[in-house]
Amino acid sequence: MTERHVRGALATTAGMSRQEAIDFLIEQAAAPRRHGKPERCDVTLAGGNPGCGDVVTVYLTVDRDADAVAAASFTGEGCTISQAAASVLLEAVQGAPLSEIEGMDAADLMDALGRDVVKSRPRCATLALSTLKGAVKQYRNLRLREEAGLPIVQPQATASPAPRTSAAQGRDPRR
Amino acid sequence: MVKYKNPELLVDTEWVASHLADPAVRIVESDEDVVLYDAGHIQGAVKVDWHADLNDPRIRDYVDAWGFAELMSRLGIGNDTTVVFYGDKSNWWACYAYWVFRLFGHENLRVMNGGRKKWIDEKRPLTREVPHLEPVRYSVRTRHPEIRAFRDDVMSHLGGPDPRQAEVRLPAGRALVDVRSPGEYSGELLHMADYPQEGALRGGHIPGAVSIPWSKAVAEDGTFRPAAEIKALYDGQGITPDKDVIVYCRIGERSSLTWFVLQELMGYAKVRNYDGSWTEWGNVVGLPIDNPALEKARQAESHAKARPTTGAM
Repeated sequence: MTERHVRGALATTAGMSRQEAIDFLIEQAAAPRRHGKPERCDVTLAGGNPGCGDVVTVYLTVDRDADAVAAASFTGEGCTISQAAASVLLEAVQGAPLSEIEGMDAADLMDALGRDVVKSRPRCATLALSTLKGAVKQYRNLRLREEAGLPIVQPQATASPAPRTSAAQGRDPRR
Repeated sequence: MVKYKNPELLVDTEWVASHLADPAVRIVESDEDVVLYDAGHIQGAVKVDWHADLNDPRIRDYVDAWGFAELMSRLGIGNDTTVVFYGDKSNWWACYAYWVFRLFGHENLRVMNGGRKKWIDEKRPLTREVPHLEPVRYSVRTRHPEIRAFRDDVMSHLGGPDPRQAEVRLPAGRALVDVRSPGEYSGELLHMADYPQEGALRGGHIPGAVSIPWSKAVAEDGTFRPAAEIKALYDGQGITPDKDVIVYCRIGERSSLTWFVLQELMGYAKVRNYDGSWTEWGNVVGLPIDNPALEKARQAESHAKARPTTGAM
């Protein structure tokens, strides 16, 4: 595993025109990579942007021995940028050391997505990253509890395995 | 038969299609999804981004009059231009832009019924060509602050209650409409698993507000419901044209749509949009809040404590 696993694996719009970058985002959002809810995972964490109703739920499974991502996927709904960003990010972090995700800078993701296109929506562009970082943090907390011999209590935000009703119906959560 | 009071404020897709080359008309797309315009828009349409164009980047407010005039100039909109808004999400942001344009005193405003979705569903053409527009002179001549409510206005509207009093009744002739989803209104959403970043420290609603989600005024195809249905919807909850009405949501965009329905389409005399909405009210220290979900949880806890324990036999 290289130290710069994630940054090197990010699909990027570098070298593209603004229109090409937009087309790239539209394609990623329309046919997202690593999209779906697995039957099992270590952590489920949902994140949302109250401003525009974007929702991204990250499902993380960790390779304990390697302390790296064994599998990560997402479900969600929202604007093109938030869903495209989730697709690009979740594809790039497969196999990545957790430490790299913890140290990842939002700027890397925004550059890959095309800063000129996403700069007015930084929260949409970084929603998946902040949610993934939250999932890693939660994983760490679970391991600490386990090592301390404490009962594993799923935090409130991960307790519900089912998507929110409105999301399940494909409806906007703010309707 | 119940009719819209101002039906001319709503134009249909066919009207827009027949005015694409009309120099007196400027079509404006305003979306939540910032890349949709670039993906394809109505020929000749310009884009207004609620976030980048209408909001002041430093303080939580809109651009000033100079900034608005500069925006109008850049978009080729003169003081007499008829502006037709359309957008995604059943015209949420189109109505929001409409409301902001009205705040700055622009008079000739319309909304394309059904928005972007209806245009696309009818297989009408989209283009990626951005119109080249010569700057025009624009001056903000008058303002309409009477369509906007600030936090203190809402507090006065409530009659200035003690924040801790158990029940708040609005003074006669006043009404408050919460247009968010029922879960947001009841205060449940802050406790739901899927909303860890809710953006407000407290859940619930402003005391005295009735819950009428914005979406009830819109049909599945994104068009506004007929006047008779809208009248029944709002009358049924006491929101009548004679009332002094304030509407709010989370950041003021969904309530802009409800404002458009009540004030513009139905011709209510006095409707204000509280754009600070829940992201302000739910975060300010010391404001009164009604939270049915919290009350329910307290009652459940109280019943559980009161229940006598039984030993194992």
